[in-house]
Amino acid sequence: MSAEAATPARLSPLDRAGRALGLSALIVGGFFPLVWMVLTSLKTEAELQKFPVQYLPGALDAANYARVFSEQPFARFFFNSLTVSLLSTLLCIAVAVPAAYALARLQVWGRSVLLTAVVAFSMFPVVSLLVPLFRLFRGVDLLNSYPALILPYAALSLPVAILTLVAFFSAIPRDLEAAAMIDGTSRVGALWRVVLPLSAPGVVTAALLIFVNSWNEFLLALSFNTKLDMRTVSVGVTLYQGEFAFPWPLIAAAVVIATIPVVALIAIFQRRFVAGLTAGGVKA
Amino acid sequence: MTQKNIAAPLPRRRGRSRGEASEGRLAFWLLLPAAALLCGVLLFPMLTTVRDSFFFNKLTEPFNGQPFVGLKNYVQMFGDPRFGTALRNTLFFAVLTVGGSFLVGIPMALAAHTPSRVRGLARVALLLPWAMPPVMTGLIFAWLFNAQYGVFNDILVRLHVIQEPLLWLSTPGLAVLAMVVTIVWKTSSFVALIVLGGLQGIPRELTEAAEVDGATRVQSFFRIILPLLAPSLAVAFIFRSISAVQVFDIPYTFIQQAPAQGLLETLGVYIYRTSIEFLDFGYAATLSVALFAVSLAVTAIYIRFVRDGAST
Repeated sequence: MSAEAATPARLSPLDRAGRALGLSALIVGGFFPLVWMVLTSLKTEAELQKFPVQYLPGALDAANYARVFSEQPFARFFFNSLTVSLLSTLLCIAVAVPAAYALARLQVWGRSVLLTAVVAFSMFPVVSLLVPLFRLFRGVDLLNSYPALILPYAALSLPVAILTLVAFFSAIPRDLEAAAMIDGTSRVGALWRVVLPLSAPGVVTAALLIFVNSWNEFLLALSFNTKLDMRTVSVGVTLYQGEFAFPWPLIAAAVVIATIPVVALIAIFQRRFVAGLTAGGVKA
Repeated sequence: MTQKNIAAPLPRRRGRSRGEASEGRLAFWLLLPAAALLCGVLLFPMLTTVRDSFFFNKLTEPFNGQPFVGLKNYVQMFGDPRFGTALRNTLFFAVLTVGGSFLVGIPMALAAHTPSRVRGLARVALLLPWAMPPVMTGLIFAWLFNAQYGVFNDILVRLHVIQEPLLWLSTPGLAVLAMVVTIVWKTSSFVALIVLGGLQGIPRELTEAAEVDGATRVQSFFRIILPLLAPSLAVAFIFRSISAVQVFDIPYTFIQQAPAQGLLETLGVYIYRTSIEFLDFGYAATLSVALFAVSLAVTAIYIRFVRDGAST
């Protein structure tokens, strides 16, 4: 990335000011709501009910965070979300890699029809699947279980995972595989030893997409896993509100905890992820 | 950039050789798990929904059974004012939020594209709204828009834009505005990401050459960059439009707090309520088919648009 080089010296002061303004707006705009949630989560109810608003919390007090875990089984929600999201990511990747390889590399009958079908699957409204999936899972006794969420999450992310991976696999020169196969590897061996390592950024991008989608999903989690022990965090954060009361500092603390995994992943993988998404997304 | 998938001409073989046949068999086995998952968990339920839309099936009226009623649910739908309102709200929100996300997302991408010392931070800021769970985005913004303790009111009062705090969530027009702002905040990231990808594909020399020739920055943006971004913008547009007409989570969280409910009810929310609150599965299925049809229509318009765009 040579674009990382220093700003050209010939920029006028006006240009510099414009850039600084744009960047600050982006950073403030992106972070502000979450920062505000963190500040709120550290306030007491009394500090909250002041107008004009008191911007900074008085004393740094983690009481709200303790209450998040004591008033609801939030640790359990967190564990559930983590399990469901990780397993749906694994399942989706395991299924998407071979499919994308076949679509990118092999002589598949009706390749463009299949690709169109994949795109069509990404248009299914989740809310339309709610009732039939509910009945299906009730029939096979899967409600209130991890598979009740893992299966739909993997399936819902599958189209975008396949499209991303197809773009990545297609970008790898065929000669590399051909060379490996001449050296005596099978096709599957070439996929495993040559294509997959080279498209690692694509796999990471797809995995992050699936994980974030699964972690954030609300509707199916709300409807399928109704036992308190089986709730996920996205539903869990809504459980603190009473009939008339909104304990905002408590809700804010729950939201902050619930967003930690996605924020951490974004912070760690931001460079690779932006590169991966932009490389895959546009061609899909 | 559109021609990348066309492979170098392979050595031509006559007929189907044994190699091709085995390749076909391998492809079949590689595609099978994906096809099974998509068909089992998405296609089959979707077909069930289409089938259900022709039946009466209301859990609150078990004595009526589940008879086949033909197009009765569809007739009901077209005479249902609540469906009309929800459809209008949905399309209205879609237009405003898709438009808004482009107006915000393109400058975001340009800002993130400029080389700077805070580039990493800018990327995280760009990704954060996209990665944030929608339900939590809804909660956070409902809090920011809170009439009594909300920070937006506070800032506006301090800046003397307004005298009195506004009742954002309980004043119909303001509730709509608040929801549009929330959805635009959440979805601009996606547009920005796709546009950023497009920007990174444009060679720097092009704009530099234009500037040497005396073009201003604004001119080179509108004359050079924007046309080259067209394919990325088209991709962003279709995916944004589909998700915009299906929007559920944010309206759902807003409605929990906003008395101005009717105005915020989208098709997705209406379907959810019809199935979960009214337990009217037949009619909910019909509404679902309508929503799918709207998604399809949006896509069809897009495909046409992209094809026309590609041929010129």
